[in-house]
Amino acid sequence: MEIFTSGKLSKVKNRHAPEVSKQTGFPSPATHYAEPSIDLHKELITNRDATFFVRIDGDELSHHNILHKDVLLIDRSLKPRPKDLVLVVQDGVFKVIEFPKNPLDTECVLWGMISYIIHYAR
Amino acid sequence: MCSLGNDQLYYSLRTMIALVDCNSFYATCEQVFRPDLWGTPVVVLSNNDGCVIAANKEAKDLSEIPMFEPVFKIKKQLIKNNVTFFSSNYTLYGEMSQRVMNILDAFSPQVEIYSIDEAFVEISGIKHFSLNTYGHQMKDTIYQYTGLPVGVGIAPTKVLAKLANKISKKRAHENNNVFVIDSEKKRIEALRWADVKTIWGIGSKHAKRLKNIGVFTAYEFTQLPEEWVRKNMTVVGVRIWKELQGESCIEFKTMPKPKQGIGTAKSFGKKLEDLGMIQEACSYYISEVSEVLRNQKSCATYLQVFLHTNYFSDRDKQYSNSITVTLSIPTCDTFTLISEAKKALDAIYKPGYRYKKVGVCLSGIIPREYVQGNLFIPPPRWNKSKLLDTFDAINRKYGKSTVFSGLVGTRVKEWELIKEDRSPRYTTQWRELLKVKS
Repeated sequence: MEIFTSGKLSKVKNRHAPEVSKQTGFPSPATHYAEPSIDLHKELITNRDATFFVRIDGDELSHHNILHKDVLLIDRSLKPRPKDLVLVVQDGVFKVIEFPKNPLDTECVLWGMISYIIHYAR
Repeated sequence: MCSLGNDQLYYSLRTMIALVDCNSFYATCEQVFRPDLWGTPVVVLSNNDGCVIAANKEAKDLSEIPMFEPVFKIKKQLIKNNVTFFSSNYTLYGEMSQRVMNILDAFSPQVEIYSIDEAFVEISGIKHFSLNTYGHQMKDTIYQYTGLPVGVGIAPTKVLAKLANKISKKRAHENNNVFVIDSEKKRIEALRWADVKTIWGIGSKHAKRLKNIGVFTAYEFTQLPEEWVRKNMTVVGVRIWKELQGESCIEFKTMPKPKQGIGTAKSFGKKLEDLGMIQEACSYYISEVSEVLRNQKSCATYLQVFLHTNYFSDRDKQYSNSITVTLSIPTCDTFTLISEAKKALDAIYKPGYRYKKVGVCLSGIIPREYVQGNLFIPPPRWNKSKLLDTFDAINRKYGKSTVFSGLVGTRVKEWELIKEDRSPRYTTQWRELLKVKS
């Protein structure tokens, strides 16, 4: 089996909240400004039920900035406009193409629109 | 009978119920990620690759392929007909099902999940557009978001919604997989069309009895006197009888019903003789089912353990046995259940046989607040059971079987059946994502 290193997140250690003395000292000035940390899932995915992940195998898409082993986020609920990158099925095979101006002229079935490309930079 | 005008008003004021169900759910889940198989026959095999449990339309159209037959008997026919077969991938089906149910949630605040691939959706207060349009919206949204085709039946009662759903599929090109019963005329037409044995809740026994007295269609059934139905088919039959006439009497349950029994039994990857290994498999299954039990905050009263050899093998000596233990106090404690199961297994195990399968089933399931103690044992205090909470919390966080009972052992790989034809878990495993070649 091929082992992918890109994209695998190592587990974050549980950070224990440091005890704040209740009797003395000043409360942290940040208390009232606390917000949850950034959650990529929340930022990148607007419709969870329509979003799928796929992994690219091969280097033929580098002109679209899609490289080998990249992960694509496909949001099937989005309506593509011309030139958007989309995943389509042509003769039973998945293909990544630019959404054509006249979709009816092409003989492929739209599977979903590519909303993000995740690329491991290292 | 009311005039058409009143009739339409009557239907438009009612709460309606939609039954949405996925067409050949398991097979289409596989096809969504395999466009090379679109339009070709696909079947899915049972948990231990024993028999065909699901087939898509293309496979059903091949009359040669019998459902629920052991696979080894029909493998040749499958291959000859170019049928693609998959081991069941419940992780994938469960996740896809969740997507469908979430989408339905957006259509109505009242959704009753009836099974992995069907749900009742309550529709009320729809005035601005037709129910037919609404049904099509549900169908089209689910298809766009997930790639799964569904059928929608809309009617004033659950039994009629089931029937409408059936009609939507039977005349697929005419109705486009959506059918609405929203007038007396349509209701009667539907009842006249339906064979009484296909009605939801009418079993084959009752269907036979009805046939004997000359009742063949659902319409003829509704013409029987209520007294006859009550006498011969109990109050359950009366409910169906009333529902078919448009009177809603099966309540809407939005909460999943507690299960009557939870069990698991899978064939071993190879035949086992050694009690130790069988014991480990048995403990493993107990761990799985007791976790389900804790998730739904309930306890089991009875524990059944069964063990058998391979029925289909002519060479092996055959033996099978099963034992049911009444637990002294209903419990969901993995450790108690494992030790009880161990005792039970000791009692039915006989050396000298090559075993194919061990299984466990928990039943007599009650909410854990209802557990009573007895004279000798005080009732358990669940809020104090830190061990099990921690146990579950660790396994939720770091993955299944991070911590486990020692009796489960570490030889899972040796007895577990490797599912050779299982598709990748596309939607839940980072390493098994759908691959697109470029």
